[in-house]
Amino acid sequence: MQYIRCRAVLLKTLVAFVFLPYGVAVSEQRWVQVRESSVRVKPVFYSAAVSGVRYGDLISVISEDNGWAQVQVKGKAGFLPLAAVTTTRVVLSGKGAAKILADESDVVLAGKGFSKEIEEQYRRSAVAARFDLVDKVERQCRVTSREVEVFVGAGGLQG
Amino acid sequence: MTSIHKRGFYSLLLLISASSCFFGCQSAAFKQITSRVLAETGYVNSSQVDSVLGAGGKLIKAQESLTPEQEYYLGRAVSAQLFARFSPVSSTELIQYVNRVGAIVAGVSELPETFGGYHFIVVDSPEVNAMSAPGGFVFISTGFLKEIPDEDGLAAVLAHEVAHVVKRHGANAISNSNLFSAIADVTSAGVSIAKSNTSSSVDLAPITSLFEDSVTGVVDKLLTKGFDRSQEYEADLYAAELLQRAGYDPKALVRVLEILEKRTNADGGGWYATHPSPGNRVDELEDDFAMPNPPLPLSAVRAARFSAIVR
Repeated sequence: MQYIRCRAVLLKTLVAFVFLPYGVAVSEQRWVQVRESSVRVKPVFYSAAVSGVRYGDLISVISEDNGWAQVQVKGKAGFLPLAAVTTTRVVLSGKGAAKILADESDVVLAGKGFSKEIEEQYRRSAVAARFDLVDKVERQCRVTSREVEVFVGAGGLQG
Repeated sequence: MTSIHKRGFYSLLLLISASSCFFGCQSAAFKQITSRVLAETGYVNSSQVDSVLGAGGKLIKAQESLTPEQEYYLGRAVSAQLFARFSPVSSTELIQYVNRVGAIVAGVSELPETFGGYHFIVVDSPEVNAMSAPGGFVFISTGFLKEIPDEDGLAAVLAHEVAHVVKRHGANAISNSNLFSAIADVTSAGVSIAKSNTSSSVDLAPITSLFEDSVTGVVDKLLTKGFDRSQEYEADLYAAELLQRAGYDPKALVRVLEILEKRTNADGGGWYATHPSPGNRVDELEDDFAMPNPPLPLSAVRAARFSAIVR
């Protein structure tokens, strides 16, 4: 019995040491509010990714500190920017949104409001608008985490 | 939406907001008034109103801000309008370089990720100009790049624009009254519910009209009116913080402003027309931000790669 108690104390101490640098443990559910993101090994924006997450994914936040959340998702632990997650439930279209809306008052409806659907409507009248160039620059402007990491290191920056 | 209908809808939303203040949002009187108003707009029917409002809290949530997704689509449309005036450069090397610098200053901000990611776009224009649209679309002209002395200076200009994105100055340009977000959220909720019910038909015209007005409002702010003086100072101060966090020299922002102060502004347009005097901004920045002393040494690697790619 004493052995089990000892083990529990040791475990709690270990958990405290792991989580202490990242602030107080909160452990709560949140939803991803960006189109896609990466759960990273370290709380640094170009750190290597351990897992990908997508808009509306449910994650478990273990703790948060300095703009980053330590999270558990799909059985993997890592870090996400706090700005990439929300405490408000994100409901994707076609998942019984009406019923969820009726039951819950605090819900974000993905793909509604100013959305792809509204953009398509807008494009019909805004004939001068160059959405083709927007699509093009969105592709061209992508940089990988690894490229940024190398760039930061070579330039003597901190990131 | 005709202007009369639009005015009417704004008035109704204003009435709702006013009612919420007067009656308290959770009160039965508030819900009763709101239900009638929303139902009369035609956006949701009377049976859907409770779903839209929840326990009276939906409108309060609606008054917070646009979601990241909504900001992204607003930013895309604003960018599409800006591309009607400015063309993006085609140099892959320059695009990649500017985006790496931008990614660093954005990455150390409180908003390192936006819904669709940051995009740092170089446009081919002799005008000295830089601007940012909601959602992380940052523009800088080739004319501005010519005035910037080094990578730290480029980081300073991009950090200033990232600051506008993080502080949501562009999205707030639509309206400072919170009324807009109430319209967007209530309408989006109504549309969603209506779409879920097979018997209901959805009229996207009202929200498309709001979207169009919002895009026009932000473009006007970026190209003609500019942000408020206080927003520009706030962006300068935050940019200096981002530079310091990233390891760039915060003083680079002062150096860029001093160069612009000395530069003759022949046409009076672009960046000069939409920003406060560079001299005043330097004074404000130096009053509020502790610059490194002694100044940071110039990085040879950063100087070399800037010269090789931008010059």
